[in-house]
Amino acid sequence: MTMLPLEGIRIADFGQIIAVPYTAQMLAWLGAEVILIESRERLTTRIWPPFADNEPGVNRSGGFNMVNSSKMSCTINLRDPEGIALAKQIISLSDVVVENYSSGTMQRMGLGYESVKLLRPDVIYLSLGAFGRTGPMKDLVGFHSVINLFSGLASLTGHKGSHPRIMGGLFPDAFSGSYCILSLLEAIYHRVNTGEGQHIEVAMTEALGTLMPEAVMEYTLDGTEPERVGNRHKDKAPHNVFRCKGEESWVAISVDDETQFQALAKTAGSPEWASDERFATSEARLKYQDDLEPLIQEWTVGLRAEEVVDRLQKAGVSAGRVLDSAQVLSDPHMVQRGFVQFPCHPEVGSRPLGAFSWSVDGEPPGVVRSAPVLGEHNRKVVQELLQLPDDEYARLVDSGAIS
Amino acid sequence: MLQQGALSGIKVVEFSNQVAGSFCARLLGDAGADVVKVEPPKGDRYRQTGPYPEGSFDPDWSGLFLYLNSNKRGVVLDIDVSGGRSAFLDLVSAADFLVVGENSVKIERLGLRREKLVKTNQGLIVTSITPFGLTGPDSSYIGDDLIAIGAGGMAYATPGIPDMVEDADLEPPLRSNTYMSGYLAGVQGAVASVAALLSRKIQGVGCEIDLSIQEAVASVMPFELAHASYYEPKTRRPEIFGVMPNAYLPCKDGYVVIMAVMEGHWRNLMDLADNPDWAELEVFASGVERARNWDALEPLLLEWTMAHTGAEIAQLAQNRGIPCFPAYTVGQMVDSPHVNERKFMRDIEGPNGKKFKLPGYPVRMEKTPWHLFRSAPKLGEHTSIVFEEWLEYSEQQLKRMIV
Repeated sequence: MTMLPLEGIRIADFGQIIAVPYTAQMLAWLGAEVILIESRERLTTRIWPPFADNEPGVNRSGGFNMVNSSKMSCTINLRDPEGIALAKQIISLSDVVVENYSSGTMQRMGLGYESVKLLRPDVIYLSLGAFGRTGPMKDLVGFHSVINLFSGLASLTGHKGSHPRIMGGLFPDAFSGSYCILSLLEAIYHRVNTGEGQHIEVAMTEALGTLMPEAVMEYTLDGTEPERVGNRHKDKAPHNVFRCKGEESWVAISVDDETQFQALAKTAGSPEWASDERFATSEARLKYQDDLEPLIQEWTVGLRAEEVVDRLQKAGVSAGRVLDSAQVLSDPHMVQRGFVQFPCHPEVGSRPLGAFSWSVDGEPPGVVRSAPVLGEHNRKVVQELLQLPDDEYARLVDSGAIS
Repeated sequence: MLQQGALSGIKVVEFSNQVAGSFCARLLGDAGADVVKVEPPKGDRYRQTGPYPEGSFDPDWSGLFLYLNSNKRGVVLDIDVSGGRSAFLDLVSAADFLVVGENSVKIERLGLRREKLVKTNQGLIVTSITPFGLTGPDSSYIGDDLIAIGAGGMAYATPGIPDMVEDADLEPPLRSNTYMSGYLAGVQGAVASVAALLSRKIQGVGCEIDLSIQEAVASVMPFELAHASYYEPKTRRPEIFGVMPNAYLPCKDGYVVIMAVMEGHWRNLMDLADNPDWAELEVFASGVERARNWDALEPLLLEWTMAHTGAEIAQLAQNRGIPCFPAYTVGQMVDSPHVNERKFMRDIEGPNGKKFKLPGYPVRMEKTPWHLFRSAPKLGEHTSIVFEEWLEYSEQQLKRMIV
């Protein structure tokens, strides 16, 4: 195995819930040693479903295990001054600190950037906030749904004439997390070149703001607010999701130009569509999509989604199955490409997990190991990394600083 | 202003016909790399899509093009003819990165695989971003955002939190009306690229990155996938986390999201609702119980939300630390004092003094800050200067490559 890009980088992970845990997990996959600082007194995703086989347990949460794989777990009581002292020792030996507590929490614990810089002058310190760390709304709390609503993304999402909808998949966490990963890698590269660390601040709301340049431009030009259009598109038709044979079976079809539409018509056994003046050009199809879509659905509903996709793709029309999450994890294409990984966890066994969206020279770009059980690495971190003697470790456990 | 940042001195060639590849290359330019966008003689497709400041077609002022291509220089080359192709290969031979955003069939046809490009440039990193990847049974499939959001599992998972959907089983899976998968794959492509740059520091050679937009979408759904992996897939009727309330509810003047799954938040919420008798019921005693009995709880909560406006509810709830927000339009977001104070939106002046805004950058880096170094190139604006600077092309060579 060649060296991973982040080998030798140590990260102190104060991430909460999803966004920053997801960030640190990617860095762990890419070879960093990530120490997740957990609190037994304040467990979140660990005690939330889904649990393996629906049996609750702090090591059995799929939500936790799928954003904290490949990390070490160290349970420290951050309400105890000795716990804070331990956290500071870990930080002083870390290259990167990441956190997404509420604004001001790290400062109150004495673990804000200015304090940490004294311990570790070249530290890279990332703070992510729902609304960021400055501005009149910096103290507002918000998870994915709040971010969706504030950013206006929900107003761009929904069926025609219906209310704003919230996208699935905790997108704001993982998307802002992806920006966090990018900025951390850039900062690490900068530090390799210059020796200089830095502070990084990310606002989840702004990450979502980067998705909607056209809507922002139109609003600021003349006050136009976007309408909700379901799955339709301003320039393409047909561009929608159609029902197929069987329960909950759907296909997405998107036609880019006349050639694709002619191919669609022919594949659907209705070549006459292409010469119908309502459908002959993109402009006409946009105008008459209410007429066109039922015709397409009449064809798709008699076929399995796989068949529709196979026939259309062979004819050069962009089409795809609409997969649910179980289908994603068992999709032969994504499994073969290595997107689906199977880390083996001591309590819940081997469970599929979605990992990298890319490969490097045909191989996964990192290594996915299982998520840690709660407090699994306390001894390793405190004794091997911080080099505290046995009796001091025992004392800290007794006093509750290590919980 | 000199283009600088963490990636100063890095040279990037972009060849892209989709949002993902162009956004990926822009992010590298945002980090200070010298990015050269290669356009065909007819121009990039997003020069044709608007919106336009004056409402009428103008290839230099298409909003999506401006957004995707700031912090880049632009050259025009017809790589289907020999002069253009050899100039393109020269450009690539002088670059650290080639970012390709295309479908895999076209990539193979154009010979844009790394093994064909590295003869004189072992350090070259090729970042390929394709709808379904370069390998695997579905790799020849074409697709756009609708296809990717469907095939990556996100459309099926929408709406993402419990919502007032009469019958989710009857409602088709939904896409958001943005190029969400393109921006996401663009950020992840930049992540993969900078990780490869760190690897190159260690190993001394470049590599080929094969990023699938389908997988980029699937990779941001850890909780959805966890349900399928750990217990059972979620139904179309969403029950995120299995703890409640984390719900999107109608209120007096619109919609509001309330997340009070943690006990402290729940107690505060019940306080706001004047501690009704039902708050003490055993069936609502924990987040998991509240999820199990959501059908009973929802109408009770609605009585309270329907008596207040979204802004009132958000104010009351946020004062008690409960994540809560009303649905904003894009305009409300753009005009909010928070967004203004953080200077997230950037001001652009178009032709004839037309002023508008586009989203800025969601990350603030202390030592390598983001700037808008240059606006998007006019078609072919930098063809001569780039070939002179990068390759010391003579006037005669320049003439030969121009179609």
